[in-house]
Amino acid sequence: MSIRKSIKSFILRNYLFTDDDSALSDTESLVHAGIVDSTGILELIVHVEEAWGIQVLAEEMVPDNFDSVDRVVDFISRKQQILV
Amino acid sequence: MDSSSTIVDNLRRSVERNPEGCAVSQSGFDLSYSKLWAQVMAVAGHLQGRGLACGDRVALVLKNSTAYIAAYYGALAAGGIVVALNASAKSPDLAQWIRHSGATWLFIDRDNDQSKTLLDCLDPRPCTVWVGASAATPTDCLQDFDAILAAAEMPTRSAPVGHDLASILYTSGTTGRPKGVLLRHANLLSNTNAIVDYLGLGRDDSSVTVLPFYYSYGNSVLNTHLSAGARISLADNLVYPQLLVQRLVDERSTGFAGVSSTYSLLLSRVRLADYDLSSLRYVTQAGGSMSPTLTQSLVAALPQCAIFVMYGQTEASARLCYLPPDRLLEKMGSVGVAVQDVRIEVRHDDGRKTNADEIGEVWARGPNVMVGYWRDPVATAATLQDDWLKTGDSGYQDQDGFLYLVGRRSDIIKAGAHRIHPADVERVIAEVPGVEEVAVVGVDDEVLGQAVKAFVVATPGVSLDLMGIRAHARSQLSSYKVPKYLELVASLPKTSSGKVRRGELINMGAPKHEA
Repeated sequence: MSIRKSIKSFILRNYLFTDDDSALSDTESLVHAGIVDSTGILELIVHVEEAWGIQVLAEEMVPDNFDSVDRVVDFISRKQQILV
Repeated sequence: MDSSSTIVDNLRRSVERNPEGCAVSQSGFDLSYSKLWAQVMAVAGHLQGRGLACGDRVALVLKNSTAYIAAYYGALAAGGIVVALNASAKSPDLAQWIRHSGATWLFIDRDNDQSKTLLDCLDPRPCTVWVGASAATPTDCLQDFDAILAAAEMPTRSAPVGHDLASILYTSGTTGRPKGVLLRHANLLSNTNAIVDYLGLGRDDSSVTVLPFYYSYGNSVLNTHLSAGARISLADNLVYPQLLVQRLVDERSTGFAGVSSTYSLLLSRVRLADYDLSSLRYVTQAGGSMSPTLTQSLVAALPQCAIFVMYGQTEASARLCYLPPDRLLEKMGSVGVAVQDVRIEVRHDDGRKTNADEIGEVWARGPNVMVGYWRDPVATAATLQDDWLKTGDSGYQDQDGFLYLVGRRSDIIKAGAHRIHPADVERVIAEVPGVEEVAVVGVDDEVLGQAVKAFVVATPGVSLDLMGIRAHARSQLSSYKVPKYLELVASLPKTSSGKVRRGELINMGAPKHEA
């Protein structure tokens, strides 16, 4: 499964409780749309760490890296390049 | 204490002492005490000019903002009773509270996605003030907050006094009778002054706050800081804890207020030792117990900081007890001693005082204790007895009089900063076709303290879609009420009279869900 598909599925199932792909656009702000709160974002970060074997540093926990599907996908891709 | 004084007088005195000092900071914009006072007077003048009478209810459905603060103090200065409502609530809850309070005025954020459905179901509609960017033409009953500030009308009637009613804070949702805690100015003032005193707050203090003002704890942070002439800096939320800590550093904050989960979140992802928090002289914790392990982690992470563990209830304006920081390690697990002018007793079910170290119900008496529940004499009589507040909390006092809490006697779930009545969640889940029965309890949660868990019994022959149940709950409830865990069970444990044994459900093992 691609990173995008996996991340989107995780958010849809855990925060919106649906499999309907159209319920969330890839650019939508997860915070402003009320999809994740402070504990939700931590669950997302833990999922990213566990599923892709990367470590999210404190300074990386910013909206630029986690506030939309697109941003999370970009972040994981960048981290994977560093790992390689 | 001057019996004629109010928290509006406290604010006015702060304005007189330091008019150009910063009262509120939001999104990089500083509002001075004199400018805040001008806004407060403009709101009060507008309300009085359009017929607000002393004791009329003014509902606020506003996120933390300078507008919230101006509307709150403005409504109080006009003689109104502020009904501060949860800005993240859904329209059925909001409508129920507004109807029950009889609010004739409503201040609401223009970007609140519930505003249209809320106003559509209110008849009669309260006079509504939109807060935030506005394109609509104001009418008699549809007004614009910025226009009110620009008009700068001055109030013409005398200000309220201590005995006047000031605030209704709702502690429950739509199921059953809404419980609106009714407070006088004198209640708020006495508690505000007591907190200012033990925290040692002054005009050199500043605090970044994430607590919503529509809750008792956040309301007390607001009132104490503005009474002390201190500075409040508004932060959106705790979603990115590292950004919050950076803000504490950048603003040289002297204080911070949080609930247990706030500190759990901060400590789990941020190495506080990497930040220069030398200006932070104290932090406070209330809104549910904090484990000794978490307390010790906080002490280790903030060695320069006085840590105030506190206990209170909305029914007590906010605060009942605090643990002096110099006794924190010695009395680990305690919520401390009564705040100024408050008495705490632990009693048996028959009302007799317990001995030291003996568990009973916590009772409290003092000038901070509410008048009662708005329009609910039955609930009031059950909670207030001979001027004593029955808190519903179980605990004991040690030989030195320090209070330790051991549990709640009510079913209220405390998840993070939120209070959740199981019945509110049960009503919504029961709407799902195929749900025969449901019971909701709070289960232990490492971060939130408690998390919402629903036990669901399916109608025979029906296969329930658990994710569908959560989706329905999300569509009908505020997000913090949506069960984190769902479990299908064959039946619910009940007493012989048919009442669900919630304690048994809580003890039924680790939380789990299959959604």
